[in-house]
Amino acid sequence: MKLRRTLAVAAVGGLLAVPVAAAPANASHGSDDRVTRTGSCSGSADWKLKVKSDDGRLEVEGEVDSNKNGQVWRWRIRHNGALSAKGTKTTQPPSGSFSVERKIVDLAGTDHVVFRARHVGSGQVCRGVINFG
Amino acid sequence: MAKGGPVRFLRHPVVQYVAAGALMLVAIAAATAWLSGRAATNQARSEARRSTELLAQSVVEPAVPRKLMRVDVGAVDRLDRAIRDTLALADVARVKIWRRDGTIVYSDQSELIGQRFSLGEEEVRVLEGAPTEAEVSDLGKPENQLERTSGGLLEVYTRITTPEGDPLLFEAYYPLDRLDVRRSAYLRAFRPITLGGLLLFLVATTPLLALLTRRLEAAAAEREQLLVRASGASEAERRRIARDLHDGVVQDLAATAFGLSAAAREKDVPPQLTERLQGFSASLRSSLRGLRSLLVEIHPPDLQATGLVAALEDLVAPAEARGVEATVSVTGAELLDERGTALVWRVAQESVRNSLRHASAEHLWVTLSPQPAGVVLEVRDDGDGFDPDATTSPEHFGLRGLASLATDNGGRLDVESRPGAGTTIRLEVPAR
Repeated sequence: MKLRRTLAVAAVGGLLAVPVAAAPANASHGSDDRVTRTGSCSGSADWKLKVKSDDGRLEVEGEVDSNKNGQVWRWRIRHNGALSAKGTKTTQPPSGSFSVERKIVDLAGTDHVVFRARHVGSGQVCRGVINFG
Repeated sequence: MAKGGPVRFLRHPVVQYVAAGALMLVAIAAATAWLSGRAATNQARSEARRSTELLAQSVVEPAVPRKLMRVDVGAVDRLDRAIRDTLALADVARVKIWRRDGTIVYSDQSELIGQRFSLGEEEVRVLEGAPTEAEVSDLGKPENQLERTSGGLLEVYTRITTPEGDPLLFEAYYPLDRLDVRRSAYLRAFRPITLGGLLLFLVATTPLLALLTRRLEAAAAEREQLLVRASGASEAERRRIARDLHDGVVQDLAATAFGLSAAAREKDVPPQLTERLQGFSASLRSSLRGLRSLLVEIHPPDLQATGLVAALEDLVAPAEARGVEATVSVTGAELLDERGTALVWRVAQESVRNSLRHASAEHLWVTLSPQPAGVVLEVRDDGDGFDPDATTSPEHFGLRGLASLATDNGGRLDVESRPGAGTTIRLEVPAR
């Protein structure tokens, strides 16, 4: 674990790079190597993005809460601009939400992590960014 | 004899046999350990090569995503997720995937990803299609600086191909501790066969050797006793002959010489006959002196009566004729009883004879002196000397016979000699 990880913060650039977000994202990080950001999507849904250190890797968890069950969302995780993982998820009861979790390598320097989800039906977009490290 | 207890112990055949066997055991143990280590290393390398090839072909290569050659971070993430758990199960300490230019495109140690080092010749050859290679890692290399292992690593590299068809070098590292475990296993397997077999052989043959040695020693002791008895019988025979000659022939010759002298002095004997009779008488007296000297040589008539000093001086009398300067010094003879005196005479006789016959000495010293332990006779020369351990010379048996004789009479005989350094024969006799 690198000490600098404890000082990890969400970058301001992450906020500026969300043109479709209706409301600003909120960042928080605890005393351990973990950063969490939340925000609103371009519609009525909310998103949450967490990045934490885990055994030499970074664990990325993205979550979308639309309060409507059965919605199909396409999602992607980008790591330093490269596509690290992608897939399709359907919101599930009781909360009408879905979450995805993937591990990515903990590279030297700052890791730029982007979680993006798009509702297939309405085109609503959720996007969260964390610069970790 | 000249050597002490420890030396005699070390020269014992059984001790030497057991010592040689122990040395052989140590040598075989060392050789077995070395061979086991080599076999274990080869076996471990071979297994590591097979494991690595299997890992590369069945796990890593199918999981290599496109764009890994370009160190695309997303591709690195996907490969990492695909293989990391399997690598952990395979007991692999480290993994690196290299590009031809020395760039590490993937490693489970993420700090290495994207770094560039120079590839060795063998690694390049494998990358170009040579068979899988295995070698002990040089932890001093820059690409291994992050390794924290204390027991060393065995690195194995083989070639894999990207979906685009580009070659990559897959390198897996294994802890060398496994070699020690395998070496111990081999050693355990070999030890009963090699060391156990030899140990059993030693255990089985040592008693046989001890038995044979005891028989040889018993035979030697019996031969010594025979020599002593033969010597005693010879002594008795000499004594009888000397007594018979002294009491018979010597007395008769003395009487005849005396009679001839008396006859020569009678007045009615013609002067011509007187002269002849005196000549016969002188010749007889000369023969009588020669016969008496011979009797002293055969057996001193009475050491107590004539005195040990005179007998010892008579004993060394022939030395002058041989060019040997002999010195006799006697003190404390009165402390000896009859047996002690006879023993001193017998040892002195044998020692002086041996010295004059074999030593080629310039000086000979015969010394009798009182000591705290008793009376000590020392016959010493500055001659050629000999090896007291040699068992081939006749003198050796004579000296061993004397040693037994000394022991039987409560004394002790020591021989100190070595080639070129003269000889000292020392007899300790208890004082009466």
